Amino acid sequence: MMKRSIKAYVTLGMLSGIAYVLMLLNFPLPFFPSFLKVDFSDIPALIAAMIMGPSAGVAVEMLKNVLDIITTGSQTGVPVGHIANFITGTLFILPTYFLYNRVKTKKGLAFALLTATLITTFAMSVLNYFVFLPMYEYFMGFYLPKEIVVMAILPFNLLKGLIISVAFMILFVKMNHWIVKQQTIFTK
Amino acid sequence: MMEKMIFGRYIPVNSLLHKLDPRSKLCAILIFIFIIFIANNAITYGILAIFTFLALYSSNIPIKFLFNGLKFIFYLIVFTFLLHILFTREGDVLVDFGWLKIYERGLTQGIFISLRFLFLILITSLLTLTTTPIEITDGMESLMKPLRKIHFPVHELALMMSIALRFIPTLMDETDKIMKAQMARGVDFSHGSLKRRAQAIVPLLIPLFISSFKRAEELAVAMEARGYRGGEGRTKYRQLNWRTMDTIVILIVLSLGGILFIFRT
Repeated sequence: MMKRSIKAYVTLGMLSGIAYVLMLLNFPLPFFPSFLKVDFSDIPALIAAMIMGPSAGVAVEMLKNVLDIITTGSQTGVPVGHIANFITGTLFILPTYFLYNRVKTKKGLAFALLTATLITTFAMSVLNYFVFLPMYEYFMGFYLPKEIVVMAILPFNLLKGLIISVAFMILFVKMNHWIVKQQTIFTK
Repeated sequence: MMEKMIFGRYIPVNSLLHKLDPRSKLCAILIFIFIIFIANNAITYGILAIFTFLALYSSNIPIKFLFNGLKFIFYLIVFTFLLHILFTREGDVLVDFGWLKIYERGLTQGIFISLRFLFLILITSLLTLTTTPIEITDGMESLMKPLRKIHFPVHELALMMSIALRFIPTLMDETDKIMKAQMARGVDFSHGSLKRRAQAIVPLLIPLFISSFKRAEELAVAMEARGYRGGEGRTKYRQLNWRTMDTIVILIVLSLGGILFIFRT
């Protein structure tokens, strides 16, 4: 992470706080089990990435999870779910940021968000199969039917990515001027 | 909507564990996560049970707080226990109903794995129950100091964490206020199609972002005016001090590992 101004650090702290609050406002999707929840906490991270660069977005993703661990603790002792959430979020914001920077239009952003959703969905299925579910097995002794779990998580991540993409699309169009203004403030 | 939210799980009572340095608690829990896997028979699990009980006892935390919010996890524990009983086919048959056979190894495996997980969550939840988030942040900053050599921004991350922690209650209030204002105008945050929900969150986020950027600017100006220059050579308002008790706790956890190692089979 490069050296930033005090204002950038303070702002990132605030954005992490917003992400944490949004994380608490989670809701389950219809037809999915209640522990698979959607929240909008990736949006502050996307805003941070758009204004202050990709590492700022990753920092917000990391801080919101660390904040959750140190305030409420992890339900599973070893915070496997938080690690998974961090990786999902990072895999979502980085492609969005880099693709949007190629084509800085509304269509470019829509394409970037959709691609990021697909990348996240695919990567999380693979990671769940090879990393997270074995971690649950190792630490907690949950022997889960891996194929079934991966098949259930795949449409969930796709839907979650789409919901966040729609919300961010609307937000970004409405706040475009403000975001551009902030970019010039933070990069000078 | 926000009333249900409790910020953090810290229970302010007076106890031995509350007085410990956050660094020793973090280290002890990290060591515990590793040594819990050494246990593999009735004696070692018994020793772990005694240790867990003593740790819980010395925390002075009322039992009902300990088990708060762990309901879902208990279902999972019961579920894995049943899976192990039903699907492990090793050892002697204990119960035979014809259609249902319970094997000895299935039963012991089920009990051991459930117990291990129970001990794991109880001990790790002691950290958040006996330590305030800000203390944990200070402890983590202090433990991660060596990472500064590879230019990992330890102090900056701790700064962002403490700012977030300071402002989370304010942000919660603000979110609540904005949500109520929107609800008064007929916005429904908790129902409706998924597209509706995605749309409903936007008028909540915009004022949140704008006001927090403004607040961040004010805070940054105030910090600069007071001469804040980052982590090098700064003194601290909250001092961490490592006492003899902290060393003793680390030694206890390490010797627990040693004892488990002796009695395992």
